[in-house]
Amino acid sequence: MISVTPKALSADANKLDLTQLTSEQTALDIKGLNLHYGKKQALQDITMSIPKGQVTAFIGPSGCGKSTLLRCINRMNDLVDGCHISGEINLHGENIYGKHVDVASLRRKVGMVFQRPNPFPKSIYENVVYGLRIAGENNRRVLDDAVEKSLRSAALWNEVKDRLHESALGLSGGQQQRLVIARAVAIEPEVLLLDEPTSALDPISTLTIEELINDLKKQFTVVIVTHNMQQAARVSDQTAFMYMGDLIEYSDTNTLFTTPMKKQTEDYITGRYG
Amino acid sequence: MNTWFKSGSPWVWLSAGGVSISLISVLGLLWLIASKGLSYFWPSELYQFDMVDEQGNKSVVIGEIYDREQIPVSQLAHLNLKLDKDQEMLERLLVKTGNRELVSLDFRWILSSNITKTSTPSDLAVVERRTNGNFYGFIDSLVLDGKPVDVAKLPQLLERVEQFQAEIEDLQKIDIGAINYQLESLRLKTKSLALKGELTASKQQEIDDKSQALKDEYQTLEQQLMALREKISRDHIVMRAMDGQLVTINFEHILHVNFNNQLGFFDKLTLFFSQIAAFIIDDPREANTEGGVFPAIFGTVLMVLLMTVIVSPFGVVAAIYLHEYAGKNALTKLLRIAVINLAGVPSIVYGVFGLGFFVYMVGGSLDQLFYPEALPSPTFGTPGVLWSAITLAILTLPVVIVSTEEGLSRIPSAMRHGSLALGATKAETLWRIILPIASPAIMTGIILAIARAAGEVAPLMLVGVVKMAPNLPLDGNFPFLHLDRKFMHLGFHIYDVGFQSPNVEAARPLVYATALLLVTIIVALNMTAVSIRNKLRERYKMLEH
Repeated sequence: MISVTPKALSADANKLDLTQLTSEQTALDIKGLNLHYGKKQALQDITMSIPKGQVTAFIGPSGCGKSTLLRCINRMNDLVDGCHISGEINLHGENIYGKHVDVASLRRKVGMVFQRPNPFPKSIYENVVYGLRIAGENNRRVLDDAVEKSLRSAALWNEVKDRLHESALGLSGGQQQRLVIARAVAIEPEVLLLDEPTSALDPISTLTIEELINDLKKQFTVVIVTHNMQQAARVSDQTAFMYMGDLIEYSDTNTLFTTPMKKQTEDYITGRYG
Repeated sequence: MNTWFKSGSPWVWLSAGGVSISLISVLGLLWLIASKGLSYFWPSELYQFDMVDEQGNKSVVIGEIYDREQIPVSQLAHLNLKLDKDQEMLERLLVKTGNRELVSLDFRWILSSNITKTSTPSDLAVVERRTNGNFYGFIDSLVLDGKPVDVAKLPQLLERVEQFQAEIEDLQKIDIGAINYQLESLRLKTKSLALKGELTASKQQEIDDKSQALKDEYQTLEQQLMALREKISRDHIVMRAMDGQLVTINFEHILHVNFNNQLGFFDKLTLFFSQIAAFIIDDPREANTEGGVFPAIFGTVLMVLLMTVIVSPFGVVAAIYLHEYAGKNALTKLLRIAVINLAGVPSIVYGVFGLGFFVYMVGGSLDQLFYPEALPSPTFGTPGVLWSAITLAILTLPVVIVSTEEGLSRIPSAMRHGSLALGATKAETLWRIILPIASPAIMTGIILAIARAAGEVAPLMLVGVVKMAPNLPLDGNFPFLHLDRKFMHLGFHIYDVGFQSPNVEAARPLVYATALLLVTIIVALNMTAVSIRNKLRERYKMLEH
């Protein structure tokens, strides 16, 4: 059996009843979400509530739809040709797939960090303030403060504070990913989506970013997709297991990794497949 | 042998050979143009040939040697020369004798066999004149203000004349030119008011007063001009030509007097560079066969810059539309095919299109709408620098579009997604992220556009280039940049000088010199664009993931 160390073994007051969350406790409410790429159905009737201020992980084998589900939350799937979505995702009670939703302002509330670091070919400073400039903020002092705050949040400030105006492309992979995280948190979103953020990084950088996630949840709701179960177990409060487009099991991390309810879940976490 | 084939070496040799041949050809061409062109500026020896012709008549020929030729005897059979039985070839020299007031042709061929003595007298002078070409001969006397002076004072006198000439030219071109321009605008204003029916008596009076003030100023300036002219009109130099005749040349016609045979190497070098400088800076004279090519340089560069300013935004925007916004349907395919076919249209067809559409249709309408007072004399309804720039912009549009699209497609979508995920719209992403990264590719397109457009002459002949333009499209009179004016172009200048000039022999070295200049300017423009592109590449160097 693969040993998995869950975050807290004792039953704690943090354990939420995910089926009975109040509206203050909910960040995202997904109801009956179905997604088709052309004729092929990628997501089947997903219904779940993601609590506020916590880290929720999506795990599952390759191709199960976890990244697709993540990308639905900030409507990045709109960029894919032939993608049809039905169902609702409610952010603070409002359906983000409603008719008059401004996608750009949605994406300011729901930030995303991608698998491979993608800093812009600009200076570190300009990378971090990019989102703020788009939102219309051009006051130098405000921008300077935001840069320091977000780089500190991303645990990158000490390493780059003397070279803020050098190109971001000169940073190492781990630093670039932290820069991208800083860039995402600079606009102070409500929800932060992380799509396999450490899969392209070395173990030390991975550790740094995992510690980061723990700090970030104090300010944002974090949803992380990972194919690394140990990471999910270390980092998240809730975990959702998906398989072939279906949501198989969704509960707090402790329970899912020690006493999973479904056999498929148990098979996956013990390594019998996936 | 087989392994040699398989290793791919023959192909490498073949391609290397092809590249070498191309390079050698280009360098050879440049060498030919440079040597023939630059030799035009090198001060050449002035010779005096004592000749005896078949009948025993003696004569003297003075001038510069332009060419040496060996010709078969059969070509000169009509001259009935006394020759050795086995002599097959004769040498003859092409001598520029100038002195157009005395002889009908500037150049003549003389047979080496007729020359009895060749010498290079040190006091032989060549006088460069504003009109009528060069004069070769000996200085007989100098006259200043009606009184003879010492010949040694010549440099001083020349300098004095040069100063006065500069003042005269300034007065004519700048001051009097401005007054003429203002008078013309007042006339047009009157006519425009009359057309609109708003010409009241008070307005007419106002305009008349202004006109009168300008005309008075004109009178004053004219008097100044005449006074200046008068000052130098009484000075002249008397030259003795090769046949002994005395010719008087007024100083106001003289540009330079040089004693080529007295010059040492460094003097010649100085003269060489000053003549090159004059070629680049001065205006042309004598129907483009003498003088400088400055208006042509100015016209070429201005037109290329205008064309770049026009084609860049259109090309980039079209490429962005095709790449980012157009759907994947039949219409887009059709658009792409149309763009690619634009590149295959012969350039003279663009000229015809430009003439018909831009000059007559669009220009004609502009005239009707905005310049009715000038009619029937067209303002924009006639070839000009604006229409030339637009025509060439359309000609080079496909190049810019294709290069820009190429650059856009090379940008990884991770950049786009990253920007969109931060709440930017597609347009903001394009403007802030995509276009800066694609800027080296856009520069490449612009470089190719400049290279193609700078060499095109055929369409320009229809839409704006003239043999001799009275003024530059850019001058001191508001609105400073006159887009309706015709301009001169180096490429056309080469054609004109080489094939249309009245004196082909005199013009031939100029053709080479102008061609060298054109190549140099295009290389300079390209180098500028390439260095800008390199700077952009440095800034947006993408690290390969």
